[in-house]
Amino acid sequence: MQIKNSAVSMIIEAENQKELEEIKLQFLGRSGRLTLTLKGITKIPVEKRAAVGQLANEVKKVIEETLGEKFLNLNSQFLIQNKQSIDITNPGIKPDIGHLHPMTQVLNEVVDVFKSIGFQAADGPEIETDYYNFEALNIPKDHPSRDTQQTLYLDTRNSKVNPGEIILRTQTSTMQGRVMEKIKPPARVIVPGKNFRYDQVDASHGFEFWQVEGFMADANVKLTDLFGTIEYVLRKLMGESVKLKFATTNFPFVEPGVDTYIQCSVCSGKGCNFCRYSGWSEIMPAGMIHPNVLKAVGYNSQEISGFAFAIGLSRLVTLRYRMDDLRLLTNPDLRILEQF
Amino acid sequence: MLAPLSWLKEYVDITLTTKELGEKLTEVGLGCEKIIKTSDDTIFELEMTPNRPDCLSIIGIAREIAAIENKKIKFPKLGHLSKPKKILPLTIKTDSKINPRFTGIIITGIKVGESPKWLKDRLEEMNQRSINNIVDITNYVMLELGNPIHAFDYDKITGHVMVVSQAKGGEKFESVDGIIYYLPKNAVTISDKEKIIDLCGIKGGKNSGTFETTKNIFIRIPVEIPNLTRRTSQALSLRSEASSIFERGVNTGGTIDALKRITDLVLELAGGEIASELYDIKNEDFKPWKLELRKNRLTKILGVEISDKKILEILEALNLSPTLKKGIFETIVPTYRNDLKIEEDLIEEVARIYGYNKFPKTMPEGIIPSVQIPYFKDYKLDEKVKNILKADGFSEIYTYSLIGEKDLPEGMNSQNLLRVDNPISRDFEYLRPTLKINLLKALSQNKSNFEKINLFELGKVYLGKNLNEAKETYFLSGITNNKNFFEIKGLLEKIFEDLGINENPTKYIEILDEGIFFELDYLQILKNRNSNKAFRPLPKYPPIVEDISIVADKNIKTSDLVAEIKNQSPLIVNVTLLDQFENSRTFHIIYQHQDRNLIMDDVEKIRKKILINLKKKFNVRLKE
Repeated sequence: MQIKNSAVSMIIEAENQKELEEIKLQFLGRSGRLTLTLKGITKIPVEKRAAVGQLANEVKKVIEETLGEKFLNLNSQFLIQNKQSIDITNPGIKPDIGHLHPMTQVLNEVVDVFKSIGFQAADGPEIETDYYNFEALNIPKDHPSRDTQQTLYLDTRNSKVNPGEIILRTQTSTMQGRVMEKIKPPARVIVPGKNFRYDQVDASHGFEFWQVEGFMADANVKLTDLFGTIEYVLRKLMGESVKLKFATTNFPFVEPGVDTYIQCSVCSGKGCNFCRYSGWSEIMPAGMIHPNVLKAVGYNSQEISGFAFAIGLSRLVTLRYRMDDLRLLTNPDLRILEQF
Repeated sequence: MLAPLSWLKEYVDITLTTKELGEKLTEVGLGCEKIIKTSDDTIFELEMTPNRPDCLSIIGIAREIAAIENKKIKFPKLGHLSKPKKILPLTIKTDSKINPRFTGIIITGIKVGESPKWLKDRLEEMNQRSINNIVDITNYVMLELGNPIHAFDYDKITGHVMVVSQAKGGEKFESVDGIIYYLPKNAVTISDKEKIIDLCGIKGGKNSGTFETTKNIFIRIPVEIPNLTRRTSQALSLRSEASSIFERGVNTGGTIDALKRITDLVLELAGGEIASELYDIKNEDFKPWKLELRKNRLTKILGVEISDKKILEILEALNLSPTLKKGIFETIVPTYRNDLKIEEDLIEEVARIYGYNKFPKTMPEGIIPSVQIPYFKDYKLDEKVKNILKADGFSEIYTYSLIGEKDLPEGMNSQNLLRVDNPISRDFEYLRPTLKINLLKALSQNKSNFEKINLFELGKVYLGKNLNEAKETYFLSGITNNKNFFEIKGLLEKIFEDLGINENPTKYIEILDEGIFFELDYLQILKNRNSNKAFRPLPKYPPIVEDISIVADKNIKTSDLVAEIKNQSPLIVNVTLLDQFENSRTFHIIYQHQDRNLIMDDVEKIRKKILINLKKKFNVRLKE
């Protein structure tokens, strides 16, 4: 403490760079007062060493910081550039660079994270057939699940298409059928994409929303692999310390069905408006691919197993940046965009 | 689905705390949304998935808790149906194709009145109105056991005949709530000799409901067909607790137990006596079925070894009567678990009761597929393009694919656009064929806060006049209110250069009142990209550079002149316009030979050729 006080007062009184250099040597140099004290730590009883060591390091930090500030101060306000004095405390002139949308930034991260575990990215049609959106996913006509999906149908006038056959896709899972029917396993695929549903627009819903679908099929895919992959991905995207929990859920195209919750980033699990006071946010429905889906793409469901999941990308972005309203993502206000 | 703790405790012992129970219920699939604490009870608000209609009853939830706690449920005591002393006549005509099971009984001499307090309190906890003791009991037993029940006023059944049939469409029906409906075709109904008295599975008729004057009742406990119920319910926008259960699939084997239960309660609370045999009209037996689960398959799919003892314990706790024979668990699935049909369904049962959060986490093994998949998309390419735009000061926007009639510019006819048949509003009825509309809106929106606005979008557009011609593609479009034409042209030239696209971007740029706009078919131009970059060795020999000033009519395009000059010799490696003043233009020409030094003689020859051809083609002369 003594050392600190005398060092600081000397620094404050210093009048030029040379003096500062001397002070630095005096305290922090090879035979400097602080250095010698640290070297002599072995002479102190063991119990006190940790405390003394910590204090010594703190003092070192303070001295270095004070030296730095004084140095800057002395060098002062006036550097010479181009034969003219400039005031270096003025703000810098930032280059006029634009901004990528937060969805793009997060999406690029997601693609990268999955790339690191061997998943390739695919892109498919938004104008889709009833077959790939429902039937190939074990959702036959008249299945109650179709109600919860609330489909937007396309006008079939002036065409040879039957009404109701062509829709705007309600989920990116459509690509499971499209990709897997064309390739033999193993498959590791993610599909980022826009989906459409008949849903009124409010803070947490909309008729257009982004998902990242993913699926894997191979000879030995297990439920533990699904849990592991989900944890790996969410840790990479939301931080190593993110808290997850799984729950049972049901979709016609997976069995067992899994839902993933992460702890609400806005309130850290205490409960707030954003997470409807539950402390958790649903982020990634998933499950083991249903044998009927495997059959539809021509895989033998006794030899091949797989898992599938869908990350709510719009939701992920709002959770990542603690935005409380989905509509912010389709609002082209530069005051929003320039924050990213 | 609401579930009061006090009621649940009648059927199962609960040792977990309320909070723990809520979490466990969520974990096994009965999403616990809220736990409501009243002055003397705790009520769970649970969200059920459509595959578990059995959980739309207190006994169903109690069974789940029994599985979680590894206990047995205590089913309510059911009395015997005593032989009727006198029999009231009733003829029932039904068709198992539209009404798979028709269970019922007549009770005579009842007194309709107020329900006892315990019954009213229970219904209130479930957010149900108390009507009268008979109606309340039917609701109570439905909530308790999961089989919807309807009580008819027997004396109002004209001709003592009930016929189950399908509506032709348009028939008038007044529900017990006093609302008039016109029935859709194929709605399943019950008619007596003169009128429709019941909309099966959904609502009873006012003309046959149980009121204070009712003395004799017919209790019906059916099995209705999910799709028929659903279609009628949707067509009329009319739902009820009963229809929700029938839509998802009622417990086909539960009608007799429910009948015994309700008969006990009616006799207890409203008096009277049984006045008919048990009616139970059905074409099939509705019995439990066998389902097998192979141990090795379970272990393979789950990825974790669970002991036989534990698996048996779980299956037993789920009331599946398991036995283990040679590595195969044989179960008997009760009729209320219509969702357990294949082996994978049992795998889920074991996993979810074991507890998903107990599972270890592994990373997938197996070879990483190296062949490029169909529908492959290279996101790095998009990233590259977007970063160039960003570096030039553009910010990225995401806008809706759906637009409204009012957004269409002059000359764009909505007849030529792809249209949504059931849009959420007229503002979002058409699929956009361009990104210009939203970019212009975005520009305008930002004017009040920003002077310099540069925005772009790389997004899907939907082309084609009708579905047969429908084509989706990505457009890359942008708008600026401060950069000039040449800056945008240069920007696009730079992007094309980076991507290896050999194309002139001029045609993609439009000068608008609001600013400069560009739009190109991103997928289309990428088709022609040359991604093979090879290093070009630095020239060994110095170039010769000269400026030529010529006089040419202002109307002659610089690009034509440049092209013509370049044409004269392969040794001309670059021609740029240096200066322009009225009729005269100065071109900066670089001559370079790869293999030797150029001498002035070489250049002279070429320059002569240039001037001759420029004169011939464009009537251009050298400036004095």
